[in-house]
Amino acid sequence: MQLKRILVPLAGTSVDVEVIRVAVALGKPTKAEIVAIHVIEVRWNLPLDAVLEPESERGEGVLDDAMKIAEAAGSHIETELVQAREAAAAIIDTARDRKSDLIVLGMPFRKRLGRVYVGKTVQGVYVGAQCAVLAYRQEETR
Amino acid sequence: MSDRGDDGRRDSDAPSLEERNTQAGAKLGDRRVRIVRPAAGEFRRRGGHYVATPRVDAAESGLGRVYETARRILFGARLTSEEEAGERLSKKTGLAIMASDNISSSAYATEEAMRVLAFAGGAALALTTPIAIAVCVVLAVVILSESRVIRAYPNGGGSYIVAKDNHGVVPGLIAAAALLIDYVLTVAVSSAAGVAAISSFIPAVHDHRVLWSLGLIALLTIGNLRGIREAGVIFAAPTYVYVLSLVGLIGYGLFRIASGDMPVAVAPRDAFEPEGIEALTALLVLRAFASGSVGLTGSEAIANGVPNFKPPESRNAVITLVWMGAIFATLFLGLTYLATRIGIAPDQSELETVNSMLTRSLVGDGTPFYYLVQISTAIILLLAANTGFSGFPRLASVLADDRFMPRQFAFRGERLAFSFGIVALALMSAAVLSAFHGSVTELVPLYTIGVFVAFTLSQSGLVRRWWRLRNPGWRLSMVINTFGTLVTGTVLVVVAVTKFAFGAWMVLIVMPILVGLLFAINRHYRTVHDALLLDRPDEPIPVLKPPVVIIPVARLDRATLQAVAFARSISPSVRAVHIATTAESAEEFARRWRGWTTEVPLDVIESPYRSLLQPLLRYIERIDERDDRPITVVLAEFVPRNWWEWILHSQTALRLKLSLLFRPNTIVIDVPYHSEDTGHGVAPRGPEDPPR
Repeated sequence: MQLKRILVPLAGTSVDVEVIRVAVALGKPTKAEIVAIHVIEVRWNLPLDAVLEPESERGEGVLDDAMKIAEAAGSHIETELVQAREAAAAIIDTARDRKSDLIVLGMPFRKRLGRVYVGKTVQGVYVGAQCAVLAYRQEETR
Repeated sequence: MSDRGDDGRRDSDAPSLEERNTQAGAKLGDRRVRIVRPAAGEFRRRGGHYVATPRVDAAESGLGRVYETARRILFGARLTSEEEAGERLSKKTGLAIMASDNISSSAYATEEAMRVLAFAGGAALALTTPIAIAVCVVLAVVILSESRVIRAYPNGGGSYIVAKDNHGVVPGLIAAAALLIDYVLTVAVSSAAGVAAISSFIPAVHDHRVLWSLGLIALLTIGNLRGIREAGVIFAAPTYVYVLSLVGLIGYGLFRIASGDMPVAVAPRDAFEPEGIEALTALLVLRAFASGSVGLTGSEAIANGVPNFKPPESRNAVITLVWMGAIFATLFLGLTYLATRIGIAPDQSELETVNSMLTRSLVGDGTPFYYLVQISTAIILLLAANTGFSGFPRLASVLADDRFMPRQFAFRGERLAFSFGIVALALMSAAVLSAFHGSVTELVPLYTIGVFVAFTLSQSGLVRRWWRLRNPGWRLSMVINTFGTLVTGTVLVVVAVTKFAFGAWMVLIVMPILVGLLFAINRHYRTVHDALLLDRPDEPIPVLKPPVVIIPVARLDRATLQAVAFARSISPSVRAVHIATTAESAEEFARRWRGWTTEVPLDVIESPYRSLLQPLLRYIERIDERDDRPITVVLAEFVPRNWWEWILHSQTALRLKLSLLFRPNTIVIDVPYHSEDTGHGVAPRGPEDPPR
């Protein structure tokens, strides 16, 4: 598959660093356009375009760090901050609008009683995305 | 970032660093808001406000990047305000930076006392040791008193704050003026003395001593603009080399004397009259004491700069102060004793220092130890100048905060140093040094008065403070500071009287002038503050009528078109005015204007003498007289693509702007037209249009 556009959703977890590196490594041979996205989930009791200072600040920090990691890995990435009710739907819609070929998704997981638990965003993107999805699995560090 | 309503929505269309676009999703209800951040990477959010990132300050042009690299090599990388704590001084670096002035005085204090006594003949030089002991006793009193200042005022500010708090503003400003003068002289004297130490073993330097001293001041300026901690790191080692080499020299000298191996004194190249030219009077002895008390200078620097120390600031400052006194007393007494015991006499022409001759007598000419002593002496004298660089900018910033000095003195530079104060000090000390031909002996009479004025005012201020507050232990503190007041006050009178004719009068004249200047600055700031102060914190925004807009037009082109369009966007009352040099050109321009628009009226003024600004200014005045609305002058200004193309244009708009700058009730708006504004380049110009 000729990768032209890669979307990298970032949640600000420990897996972000490796996810960006993987995306950069995958995109380098074809000089693919890489876009990192952070979705702020807005509670239902607030308007969708409400200005959420702490969340926006954190999101900007996540995306700025992503740019630095990509630059250190020898690539330039675009970033996008989005507010939505559900992160999975926003990621899928952004991938569709940007005509992404691949979504590289961080999949931090936890083990409880020997079973692996994955967040609903990862599950939602896996099920709903119209393009290829690559999940980078890493146990969540506390 | 505060343009939000109660529900968190933005409630104005005011310009913002981010844009929010709502986009539909694949499913109903999956809408999302895309936050577009064109300035991402340049501004970061933090706690409800934006923080400018280093990228904002990064140079964009090639020339700018070259300048930026050179600046970084010279002054170091920028520091953020949060990094200030890391710039604090430990006791070790604090001693190097703040005590070097006092410690380095040991390099010339003996000589300065000797040079006065030498007028009474060689035998009078024996009095140098008792004078040195007297100076050390005064220093002990000063240190004890200054330690009380540090404890009472842990936030620093020194004599100025103490005197202002306890005596009032005028004594505070006298203390401040005295210290400011003294810091300037510290830099001048120390750099001159540093060069004197070098010229003792490289005589060729003596002929160009002013140039060398100026070079040293420039070096110190750069070092201090890099920040105080780095200045300390650069200069800490030489201080300790100086102290150790001098302690070694004194120890070696005492050993030789004790073992009966008395060294032969090196004779000065230009000796004083052995029989003397003056009688040994009490006044002469007092003058020698006054000259020797130059060794007391610099002891105020630690009390002034307490906040520069790492926590616990007060404790560290007091320990450093005591170390400073102990080191100075050891070196000064040791050197003085050896010089008088061996029989060293000062050089009349300042060709060689007493310390250089003493070292040569003890360890021989041209030995590595001789060069070690001389070079470390030169360097520590430079460090002493550095005390001025740490004291003056800090005091000036305190005065600027209190609005007694221009506000620029309170701004910290990119390296957290008070850059403006550093540069101002360098310029003033360079001027003083040049005026006195780089001579230590010519400069010393001006020195020490300021510091004793400040000492006396701060000591007496503390006496009043203890009496007023009566905290536990106030009686002991009061006794110490009363004694300190008497001692420093007496030394002040002695120094002022004995050095008056030798140059101290200049300081006594400059000091009140400086106090007056500080007052005048404060009066200005208070007037401005009163004029700008809002009557109420919730003062409503006044509603103004649209202004009367005048657009001076030179020709009909794209720049004019843009300016007219802007003028019409702010007011319906717009009038253009054109200055023509001949009746024909006036008619021609009016005809072209009418052909272009009838919506904006035009006045054409014929100026037979071809003056441009005066008719325009008079026209604006007359319009203003007839209308109570604020007058707004909109200027169309062509901005060339390259800086060097500026010289090809007459800069009429710039001259007009300058003429209108101080005109009351007049708003001047510049509408720049860049040659790339429309992508079409500059509008075609008719052959009759002269270049702007």
